[in-house]
Amino acid sequence: MLLKPTIATLWVLVGSVLLAAEPVDFARDVKPILQARCHRCHGPAKQKAGLRLDAAALVVSGGNSGAAIVPGKSAESLLIHAVLGRKDVHAMPPEGPRLSPVEISLIEQWINEGAPLPLDEKVESAHATQSNHWAFQPVKRTTPPDVTNAGWIRNPIDNFILARLEKDRIEPSREADPVTLIRRLSFDLLGLPPRPEEVEAFLADSHPEAYMHLVKRLLASPHHGERWGRHWLDLARYADSNGYTIDGSRSIWKYRDWVINAINSNLSFEKFTIDQLAGDMLPGATLEQVIATGFHRNTMRNEEGGTDQEQFRIEAVADRVNTTASVFLGLTVGCARCHDHKYDPISQREYYELFALLNNADEPTIEVPTTHKMRELPALANELALAEKLLADNEPSVANRQEKWEKDLATQVEKLKEVPESVRGVLATEAQTRTEEQKNTIAEYYRSIDPFRLPVAQRVADLKGRQKQLSSSITTSLVMAERQDPRKTYVHIRGDFLRPGAMVNGAVPAVLPPLRTTSDRANRLDFARWLVDARNPLTPRVTMNRIWQQYFSHGIVSTENDFGTQGTPPSHPELLDWLANEFVSSGWDLKHIHWLIVTSATYRQSSHAREDLKEVDPYNRLLARQTRIRLEAETIRDAGLAVSGLLSDEIGGPGVYPPQPEGIYRFTQNPKYWKTGEGGDRYRRGIYIYYWRSSPYPLLATFDTPDATTACTRRPRSNTPLQALTLANDPAFVEMAKSLALRVLGEALPSDMDRLKLAFRLCFARTPLDEEVRRLSDFLDTQRTQFAGTPSDADAAAPQPLPPSIRPAEGAAWTAVARVMLNLDELITRE
Amino acid sequence: MISSQNEDRSLSTTRRYFFRQCRMGLGAIALATLLNEGRLEAGSEPSRSPSEGPFGPRPPHFAPRAKRVIFLFMAGGPSQLELFDWKPKLRELSGQQVPASYVEGKRFAFIGKDAKLLGTRREFKRHGKCGAEVSELLPHTASIVDDICILKSMQTDVFNHGPAKLVVNTGSPRFGLPSMGSWLTYGIGSLSQNLPGFVVLMSGPRGPRGGSPLWGSGFLPTTYQGVPFLSGPEPILNLKSPPGFCKKRQGDFTAAVRDLNTSRLDAVGDPEISTRIAAYEMAYRMQASAPELMDISGETPRTMEAYGAIPGKVSFANNCLLARRLVERGTRFVQLYHTDWDHHGNTDTNLDQPLGNICREVDQPAAALVRDLKERGLLDETLVVWGGEFGRTPMGETRDLLGRDHHIEGYSMWLAGGGVKGGQTIGATDELGFYSVEDRIHVHDLQATMLHLLGLDHKRLTFRFQGRDFRLTDVGGNLVSKILA
Repeated sequence: MLLKPTIATLWVLVGSVLLAAEPVDFARDVKPILQARCHRCHGPAKQKAGLRLDAAALVVSGGNSGAAIVPGKSAESLLIHAVLGRKDVHAMPPEGPRLSPVEISLIEQWINEGAPLPLDEKVESAHATQSNHWAFQPVKRTTPPDVTNAGWIRNPIDNFILARLEKDRIEPSREADPVTLIRRLSFDLLGLPPRPEEVEAFLADSHPEAYMHLVKRLLASPHHGERWGRHWLDLARYADSNGYTIDGSRSIWKYRDWVINAINSNLSFEKFTIDQLAGDMLPGATLEQVIATGFHRNTMRNEEGGTDQEQFRIEAVADRVNTTASVFLGLTVGCARCHDHKYDPISQREYYELFALLNNADEPTIEVPTTHKMRELPALANELALAEKLLADNEPSVANRQEKWEKDLATQVEKLKEVPESVRGVLATEAQTRTEEQKNTIAEYYRSIDPFRLPVAQRVADLKGRQKQLSSSITTSLVMAERQDPRKTYVHIRGDFLRPGAMVNGAVPAVLPPLRTTSDRANRLDFARWLVDARNPLTPRVTMNRIWQQYFSHGIVSTENDFGTQGTPPSHPELLDWLANEFVSSGWDLKHIHWLIVTSATYRQSSHAREDLKEVDPYNRLLARQTRIRLEAETIRDAGLAVSGLLSDEIGGPGVYPPQPEGIYRFTQNPKYWKTGEGGDRYRRGIYIYYWRSSPYPLLATFDTPDATTACTRRPRSNTPLQALTLANDPAFVEMAKSLALRVLGEALPSDMDRLKLAFRLCFARTPLDEEVRRLSDFLDTQRTQFAGTPSDADAAAPQPLPPSIRPAEGAAWTAVARVMLNLDELITRE
Repeated sequence: MISSQNEDRSLSTTRRYFFRQCRMGLGAIALATLLNEGRLEAGSEPSRSPSEGPFGPRPPHFAPRAKRVIFLFMAGGPSQLELFDWKPKLRELSGQQVPASYVEGKRFAFIGKDAKLLGTRREFKRHGKCGAEVSELLPHTASIVDDICILKSMQTDVFNHGPAKLVVNTGSPRFGLPSMGSWLTYGIGSLSQNLPGFVVLMSGPRGPRGGSPLWGSGFLPTTYQGVPFLSGPEPILNLKSPPGFCKKRQGDFTAAVRDLNTSRLDAVGDPEISTRIAAYEMAYRMQASAPELMDISGETPRTMEAYGAIPGKVSFANNCLLARRLVERGTRFVQLYHTDWDHHGNTDTNLDQPLGNICREVDQPAAALVRDLKERGLLDETLVVWGGEFGRTPMGETRDLLGRDHHIEGYSMWLAGGGVKGGQTIGATDELGFYSVEDRIHVHDLQATMLHLLGLDHKRLTFRFQGRDFRLTDVGGNLVSKILA
């Protein structure tokens, strides 16, 4: 405001001189000004806000905020607003003195004269984005290093780990005992504890390859897909409701089941990725591949009245960009939504180029027959066609049989009595004199009793009924569908979608390998293929690191969601690259990687704390031992259900509603549907529990299940009093305690001691120590005496129904014991 | 930073391991004191002593004025024009179209740009020594104006309920960020060993729009999320022992769990087990202390009357009384949600009878709370905040009955206690009550000021997530020094 009159005054003073002179020449008059004051940030080396000012053509075309000038109209030109610090534009240059009025007026004059370009202007190409940050370099082919203690090595993973330990003269830990190993493997590969008979069989197996056989068996179990599928669903921010305040229900469980099946069938991670990002765009896409695109339909949807739907569509696309970058590239691109990334070589423009790749999809809902109906519907159609043909074939002969029936009736009075009166009256009329109506009455009646026609007709009706029923209960799923007519994508100035800047096309950040396109315009499928291109250094590293993290509690890169310059460097860079190479060259084979890790000596170490490591490696980065890991929310419940014999092992299907405490929905805007399931549905695995974003199943939320708003790359593991209250008092856990008590009491065992040991083996796979048996046995005795003196308490605490041979005090005392076991730290910990 | 979080966990793990070895002798206690002296620094997790676990009290950045917060959240957006912001000009121009210059480039949730101005029908008077203007709808609040600080120039970013509530609680309209109570318990812990550090109480016809993310811990450990209390004697899920398990048996149970966990701890040496032992003991204490907290039958008739509380009833009055009982027992952050202030002009939500009703529900208990805290000497160290996610438009909404739309450019809140200079009104809106024109206070400014009163620098209370140091005030926040006593 202050400047303006000054400029105007100067214009009069200086302008007259300038105007009198020849027209402004960009190269001679303007470029030197811009060069001196602007090129450092807006030149070939660096383009802040996507803007270059080192050539007239580039000034005209502008940056992220659109054209920098309007030829002929200096007063409307962004560049002039910026150098004057007017109109809500950051004053430029940000440091040092402002441009002088004379300099500004020269630029203004050039613009007002139509911003003519110099005839022979040469535009220097922008300097390539370069970075020597480790994560952006190609994956190296690394060879396992030599070690002194070669006898410890089981596979190349161990060379990398041991070589590093030997460098610091640290001994690895001894191998964990076999009971710990089978329990660890069962939890890690299936998310379930081993059954006592499995433990016994493993202990009895003296074959040198017994461990390998066990791993093989577990990797082939259909529960493996549930375990590792759940890890993936954390990344996919899977939930069964729309989120935000209204949080309505949605049907997308077919996607969840797709993930479980894909992992069980060991779909290569390459296909796994392409199907989820762009399955709909593959030539001849199968129904399954379309369902897979539900990955990016797990975004939230705002149904609140008065909201701008485009605003929340854009939120969803931004979430897709952030999720893709986080899950596959381990990059935190979200910062670049509003401004160039502060630390990593990702500009705001590049953010919107990624945005453009994911901005061109419609978001339809498709009908999907459930697995059950997939088998039945075609069979049913076939059956129906056969039955209908039979019915038609039968048709001509009906008249003959009717004739015979009529003749028989004339002689058989008993049979005539069965015929309804209305028909009987008509039959009394002579055949030749019957009206058409009368003929029809008789024919219609006969058709209803014709012994050949009747069963076929009934079958057809039945099949039609089932077909109708199945069709109407067909489920739906949310998927992506690429638009024919592409949306335009603009840079959103300061992240505000109401302020579109320059238009951009789909592309990937320049610091990474280039995108190969199949048409003139890069699309989502190109992007999906690029993510799993062998040249992409990030996807395999990030994926290997995340898998490693599940087995050792932290990754080789401990900032699993930030491989950028602000992340921590890898503890074992050569190992990470070796795994990445192994992954890609095995054909992106996930089960191969699981196999390698769990059969390594590194994985098989004991998790016990070691005095000598406390100082030298307090965070266990060097892995001279395994780590005790608290189980995840779902696994805690699954483990309780499994040891108490309640768990249902059914896989897949719509979400279930196990019992939950009352009063949950007082805290949500709208009450949620929760009809407590019956029978086996009460005891399904946690992955199948219907997930309302605004009010997750309380037991899961208490144990850190992610909130499904953004991709969760690592769950925290809290340790709180509310968890204690849940395990101790939640009716679901009390039910497990009662069931476990009943299970133990039901075995024909000679003594309390044997029962205690059985219960212990069920819960922890191992045999209890003497001091543990003593403590439990004392506890059992006290409880037995106490409950015997309080019959009503005993009735309340004992399992129901109790076999007549067991007294309520006995049942109650064992429930108390089972409850203690279900509350021990060891039950919810993978050792 | 996630990694430092991890390292810190391991570090405290190491500390706890050390304690186990020392079996908590005198030396250990001295060390606990030493460890607790570490000051909070940006980006690092606060150090905490092993005996206290994640909830132990921790020192702030500088000497605090307030030790605890009671946030009376008026969910739905109370109409400042009917309560605090008296605009004679608006009444004069009532029925005329809003001047175009006011609504240029603005978006509203429901109304159009041709909406008509709506003057209030409520009468205002000056009250107290300070002469603050308060409407006839809030006679009790009017009686405490010399103890409160009215803010008339509040501003926020978004005009939908859910996102706007998130801005107040988390500093951002996006889901998944930590709420204020989580930041606070993360930063300075709790003063209670028997009750949660961050408690949420609710009253009114329904839960607040936005639901659990309003008190969520976002990317902070879930340990720090708010615990919503249910009404009745068992405010926390699973607080009650199972049928057949009396207090003695629950005690036996806890002892057996402790002994067997200790045995495992000795075998494997994982300090997480000692944290779990501590968690079970606190849970056991909570089973007794929470019902005791909820039982208001011991309050004097005078107190009950002052609040308008009735035993066994779910009401804002009862919740105000519970809030006082909670802060007395060491809870750090108590948030009360009362619905529904969303007076658009529908049968149950209009500026006539329904506004009068909700004012009656809220006015007396809120004033009683401030007075009660003062009488008990708690007000000095308890920050009380009254307000909603936004205010309401000077224009009326064309519905069946009298109502206003959501408004984010200028609205009112009030503060009391905990280092706040009472008896003043800060800020003003223009003559139509549309824009804040004087001492504008963005929600981030309020948050920065609240943290300051609690001894925390809003720029230093950070947590690294997805490559960025997040804080409650996002990228904004300026201390409003006029608020400070």
